[in-house]
Amino acid sequence: MEDILEKIKKNIIEGRMNSEDEGFNGEMAGEPGVMELVQKALDQNISPSEILDKCLNPGMEEVGRRYEEGEYLTPDMLASAECVSEIMKILEPKLVKKEDQRKEKFILATVKDDLHDIGKNIVSTLLKGSGYEVKDLGTSVTPDEIVEEVKQSHAQFVGLSALLTTTMSNMKDVIDKLKEAGLRDKVKVFIGGAPVSKEFAQKIGADFYCEDAFDAIEKLKSA
Amino acid sequence: MNRGMKLKRHSFLSNQECQVIHDSSCRLLEEVGVAATSEKAIDLFQKKGAVYEQGRVKIPKNMVEDALEKTAKEITLHGQHSKDNIRLNPEDPLVYYGTGGQALNVLYYHDGEFEKKSAGTQDLIDILRICENLENVDFITRPVEPDVPEEKMDLEKTRIFLENTSKHVNLANLIKLDKLPEIIEAVKDKSRISFISCVLVSPMNLVSDTVEKFMDIVKEDIAVSISSCPQGGSTAPLSEVGEIIQVNAELLSAVVLANLVRPGAKVLYRGIPITSNLYADASPRWCQPESIRRIAVITDMTYFYKIPCCGTAAVSDEKEPNPQTVAEKTLSWVFESASGAQFINSAVGMLEQVLTVSPEQYIIDNQVISRIKELFSQSPDYDLAEIAQKAVHDALNMFDVNLDSQMKQDISNRIEFILSPKEEYTPEYAGSQVDTISKAIQSGRSSNKFMKASRAGLRKGWLYKGMRLEGQMNLDEVLRIKKQILGWDR
Ligand code: B12
Repeated sequence: MEDILEKIKKNIIEGRMNSEDEGFNGEMAGEPGVMELVQKALDQNISPSEILDKCLNPGMEEVGRRYEEGEYLTPDMLASAECVSEIMKILEPKLVKKEDQRKEKFILATVKDDLHDIGKNIVSTLLKGSGYEVKDLGTSVTPDEIVEEVKQSHAQFVGLSALLTTTMSNMKDVIDKLKEAGLRDKVKVFIGGAPVSKEFAQKIGADFYCEDAFDAIEKLKSA
Repeated sequence: MNRGMKLKRHSFLSNQECQVIHDSSCRLLEEVGVAATSEKAIDLFQKKGAVYEQGRVKIPKNMVEDALEKTAKEITLHGQHSKDNIRLNPEDPLVYYGTGGQALNVLYYHDGEFEKKSAGTQDLIDILRICENLENVDFITRPVEPDVPEEKMDLEKTRIFLENTSKHVNLANLIKLDKLPEIIEAVKDKSRISFISCVLVSPMNLVSDTVEKFMDIVKEDIAVSISSCPQGGSTAPLSEVGEIIQVNAELLSAVVLANLVRPGAKVLYRGIPITSNLYADASPRWCQPESIRRIAVITDMTYFYKIPCCGTAAVSDEKEPNPQTVAEKTLSWVFESASGAQFINSAVGMLEQVLTVSPEQYIIDNQVISRIKELFSQSPDYDLAEIAQKAVHDALNMFDVNLDSQMKQDISNRIEFILSPKEEYTPEYAGSQVDTISKAIQSGRSSNKFMKASRAGLRKGWLYKGMRLEGQMNLDEVLRIKKQILGWDR
């Protein structure tokens, strides 16, 4: 039993979702990944909260440490964060203790008429890696879709991305729509992307401007 | 004096390797296809034999080859006077240099420091005036947009260009589709202008509104560069072979579409296979060795197809003019020129990954290009590593930068990196890359897939890791020239 939990943790650190994944050094393809292992653990009646305590939390701590020390790079963080978020999809409904369930939800979207998503995807990765639940609505998302999602999901944070001078004004539309729907006080709004700035954030009434994904993590600590 | 530099072309890929890329790209087009939502484009593709299913246009190889047969093999772009004309023909290639855009910011020099501000109409005019006086700027791609409402931008831009430059005018993007007739009326001679169309979002997506503008430009028989700029590791495989296959497939889909709209379409092939900075926040790496190499490698495909090439060079990753900026740009020009890319865009004046330009940088770049041209003309049978090394040293020397042994070592490491292939262009390996691309697309979360697939390559050192060249530059001469042209000091 120890063995399987150890294996799950190891594969989280290696960022291996399933047997196709190659791991940190590209050498582990063929071995079972976390999805198979977690299923096996559950079949052996290991409790979800034990998997959380013994695998997910220490695994991601180790990944975070390696990332900070520069051994791990962004794709490594992404691979591990993806594992954790997929495992949580299985475990969450089964978790009984309230505090085990992830608390903070973050909605991300690239605003209407804008198709740039590389930066937004990185933000999503780092947020997941830091334990947030991320709902990524994709690119060219209308204000109505975002407001609807806030209503449905009771998220605490909304992150908007725009890379074009012609689409940055669509961020303001989102904030206005949130106000109209009476939801503005329920969420903190984060914005980012090359043409936006701290001044712009103030002008449109966003809570935080983030220079990059790391900045977002910093600002979340204060939010 | 006529424009354009003749030089011996250095090819990175053999004909056989180009054939491997071509076959793999065709497989990708046939099996995976390009996503499209524009009814106009889909209809045309379907009528001429492509299959449209589940949102993707699947293009058979014979359609691709038919389009390559038909597409224009020579394109002449006009300046105001015939001495400034540009002739693009891979059978008898000449290399031309131009500016690029669109930058959002302009840097102005003040008491030893650069100050950044948002770019607007006056900056556009200043830059055009500067470039009019720089002998090595052969054509002008709109560097910054005028600050007028979008509705007026196309015509305002055209007017400002015609008033301020006699060189060939590359308007880059058409902002409003319905303005094209008025632009044509203003310029009279359709060869006086050209466009760039970023019709593709990688991986393998044709963007509706851009595609429709592209189709209209082609219909009018105006020259247009088809541009695709994937970033290896986030919107394409980190593998060079994989990224080249993908960008080639993307561009071929647009070559096909153009020639369905108008057989003999005047399209320039422009592949910009750069990489994503996976060491940090995945921002684009335009001017690092692996990107310089890939951008030069893709030029070979245009010679394989014998079609006109629009090159890309010298988009520095640095925010300001400094020794690193000069070194990156110089390397990028040497390799892109040697590759035989004909209409080299983006280049002059550009900084910060296409976000910023500076008047001083235009002047610096003009001087560097002069030196590069001299070096190529002095040694027609050049050794590429040697000429690259010499060019960077000379360029830095011009601005009194002292190179210590560490800096010299980094420059030669970069050159060696650019010249050494890291992967094999074999059918088997190429086939595995096609599989990676098609899996990534089918997953619906391609950037995650590409990023995860890049881990092995990262460990093998596919993204160059080196140092930045620090130091002071002497800009006295540059500032003197700026003052001479603009008449006042900003
Ligand atoms: C890659 C790219 C593309 C790709 C996008 C691929 C993709 N899947 O995203 C393609 C080729 C498709 C593309 C298309 C276009 N592009 Co483009 N593109 C770029 C480019 C080169 C890089 C952007 C990028 O990915 N950066 C890397 C990421 C990691 O950085 P980032 O996005 O800034 O994100 C970081 C931070 O800003 C922050 N952040 C961002 N968002 C958010 C959100 C939150 C909540 C938080 C907390 C943080 C945060 O964190 C991120 C990670 O650290 C930029 C130039 C540049 N250097 O920025 C031009 C650029 C943005 N594009 C530009 C243009 C003009 C276009 C087109 C209109 C071109 C055309 N003529 O058709 C189209 C528009 C398509 C559309 N409707 O959106 C211009 C914009 C100019 C302007 N006026 O605004 C730019 C500046 C290039 C230029 N100088 O010309 N483009």
